[in-house]
Amino acid sequence: MKKMKRFLALALTMTMVLALAACGGSKEETPADGSEAPAEGVTEITWWAFPTFGVDSGYEQQLADAFMAANSDVKVNVEIIDFTSGADALTSAITAGTAPDILFDAPGRIIEYGNAGNLVPLDDMIESLKSDLTSESLLETCMGADGSYYMYPISSSPFYMGLNKEMLEESGAIQYVNLEGDRTWTTDDFVKMCETLRDAGVCMTPGIVYCGGQGGDQGTRALVNNLYSSSIVGADGKWNVDENGVKALELLKSMYDSKALDAGFSMAAADELQQFQQETCAMTFCWGTSNAISYASEDFTQISVPFPSDDGVPELEYLVNGFCVFDNGDSAKAEASKRFIAFICDDAEWGPKSVVQTGAFPVRASYGNLYEGNEEMSLLASWSQYYGPYYNTLSGFAAMRPLWFNMLQQVFNGTPAADAAAAFNTDSNA
Amino acid sequence: MASTSAPKRSLVLQRRETVVSYLFLLPALFFFVGFVLTPMAMGVVTSFTDSSFQNTNTGSNFVFLDNYIRLFQDPIFLKSAVNTVIIVVVAVPTVTAFSLWVGSAIYKMHAAARSFFRCVFYLPVVTGSVAVVVVWKWMFDKYNGLFNYVIRAMGGEGLMWTESEQMALWCIILILFTTSIGQPIVLYVSALGNVDNSLVEAAQVDGATDLQVFWKIKWPSIMPTTLYVAVITTINSFQCFALIQLLTSGGPNYSTSTVMYYLYEIAFRTTKEFGYADAMGVVLAIVIALFSALQFKVMNGGTTE
Repeated sequence: MKKMKRFLALALTMTMVLALAACGGSKEETPADGSEAPAEGVTEITWWAFPTFGVDSGYEQQLADAFMAANSDVKVNVEIIDFTSGADALTSAITAGTAPDILFDAPGRIIEYGNAGNLVPLDDMIESLKSDLTSESLLETCMGADGSYYMYPISSSPFYMGLNKEMLEESGAIQYVNLEGDRTWTTDDFVKMCETLRDAGVCMTPGIVYCGGQGGDQGTRALVNNLYSSSIVGADGKWNVDENGVKALELLKSMYDSKALDAGFSMAAADELQQFQQETCAMTFCWGTSNAISYASEDFTQISVPFPSDDGVPELEYLVNGFCVFDNGDSAKAEASKRFIAFICDDAEWGPKSVVQTGAFPVRASYGNLYEGNEEMSLLASWSQYYGPYYNTLSGFAAMRPLWFNMLQQVFNGTPAADAAAAFNTDSNA
Repeated sequence: MASTSAPKRSLVLQRRETVVSYLFLLPALFFFVGFVLTPMAMGVVTSFTDSSFQNTNTGSNFVFLDNYIRLFQDPIFLKSAVNTVIIVVVAVPTVTAFSLWVGSAIYKMHAAARSFFRCVFYLPVVTGSVAVVVVWKWMFDKYNGLFNYVIRAMGGEGLMWTESEQMALWCIILILFTTSIGQPIVLYVSALGNVDNSLVEAAQVDGATDLQVFWKIKWPSIMPTTLYVAVITTINSFQCFALIQLLTSGGPNYSTSTVMYYLYEIAFRTTKEFGYADAMGVVLAIVIALFSALQFKVMNGGTTE
């Protein structure tokens, strides 16, 4: 009996020791993904990608496989992160010193990481790209506060509005929408369109100005900025809702009061897009090439239009997709990462294919029109002429975003637009 | 001889048992120190610095009590703190009282019926919070939601629910309530079932009414369970986060922002000031500890002595 107890005690102690040992790490262990450890002389890099190439498309792995086939000295691990939790995962990884080697994202976050000293400058890569860019303004989206380039762009596309054609036709509001040429239109026509939709009662509400979160908030900023040609950034480079911005906020509030528009106090862009898809409303303020695929509907025809403005000349917000390389203190990894990025963006076969996979337009002029024969995409590509100033890389952008949607909430809840804007201007520059 | 060797033997045995006990505790202690105590200590230290995402590489500076002073000058933090207290003050008594009521009603039922009710009330607990919030979000939808559909079907005008500054916090409390009552009900059913029946019968023989039996016999017997339920519900209510993030993102106009949510916003979404966010965490931990201590005091540590 005593022996039995001793044996049991020994067995339990061994179990505990093993359990503790299992908690410890070992560099010789097989990687968690089950893949084999890289062979001698092979540089292993990790790529974190938001699903900009499409959700579950598998395209990222195809790229990695093609690159590894041509570059046997590099092993690429692909990890897909989602838009909901990916940003938090990145912040945690960077602060914990476990950042990936490559990230596929947009300038807002990438330049923030670059300004914080976490990225490898890509000036050498950008230098050779400069002469081939479709627009000079794309360069400013890739530049950090210290003048170094931290993002290597691959594609861009504008953000614009989406309309429900059948609802517009049924209500008669279609007369106010310009479907000719580049489809630019005016603030007056926009207001008339909304009022006609409201009076006809073809939908629960003509449109929803979502202000429950920062997801897709570029849409509401574009709406406010275009209505009376204002800008959210002042001449001094500070966040500033100017007089025309206040006028636009007052117009939206009056339209809300008259039910020509509704406010989505607990809605972000994704919620508003769902309501558009379900035909609760007749328009969305967050339409784009990617959302046009994600929120497509066979029940109605979606029309793309730029944001309305008082002078009929819009200034559109736009998305730039690109890559950055994290400075993980290993020059071999940085060099391999740069080669992989160049392969994705510049390879004669994979470069154009990758641009099309993002559903956007190439930043390289030499790629020409990748959507030959597609009238809609050709029209959208032509809107690059209306690209406004890019402010997502300005200092304090992340802190400004929650203040923006809260300001909209205050205006719709009755705070005078001038007061709400003044508070926004003070707090966002604090 | 036997009388002198027995205590020695007992001491050796006692020491050996102590060593074995500590060995058994070791794995749990390892995780507790590594994943609870160390992060807590790091959080407290960081709260006295200007640590942020921007200075991850350059290093942070010691700023003494600046973060704590700033907290009490930050109107959004103060609003979040008030919201948090409202959630706790409303949720804890209602969850405890409702759970006790349901537990009292079902613990005498047939085993099958009792299991059925336990399952019904426990279902929101085992269901993932994302799934729960998605369903509630749809029900609260002002355009196509279930609640407004019913109201409109009865000729009324749809309500704003989570879109309204006045209603949003109550919507949050309602969801928190439904997801918090499952465990207390199961605990109360079990605790009430374990009340010594001879005491109940003796009281009834002495002519005690049902109410007297409850307050004089059952209530004191289930006091430890009540204390546990109150403390756990308090902590969960103070730390309410996921459903706010998924349902309202703290809006409209910060009307549903809580300390926990604002902490997350500061640390991960907006300014990424880890020192400032940690100061909020420390204040929240102190307040939770004070509330829990108060509950222990008021309930005599779960006894009736």
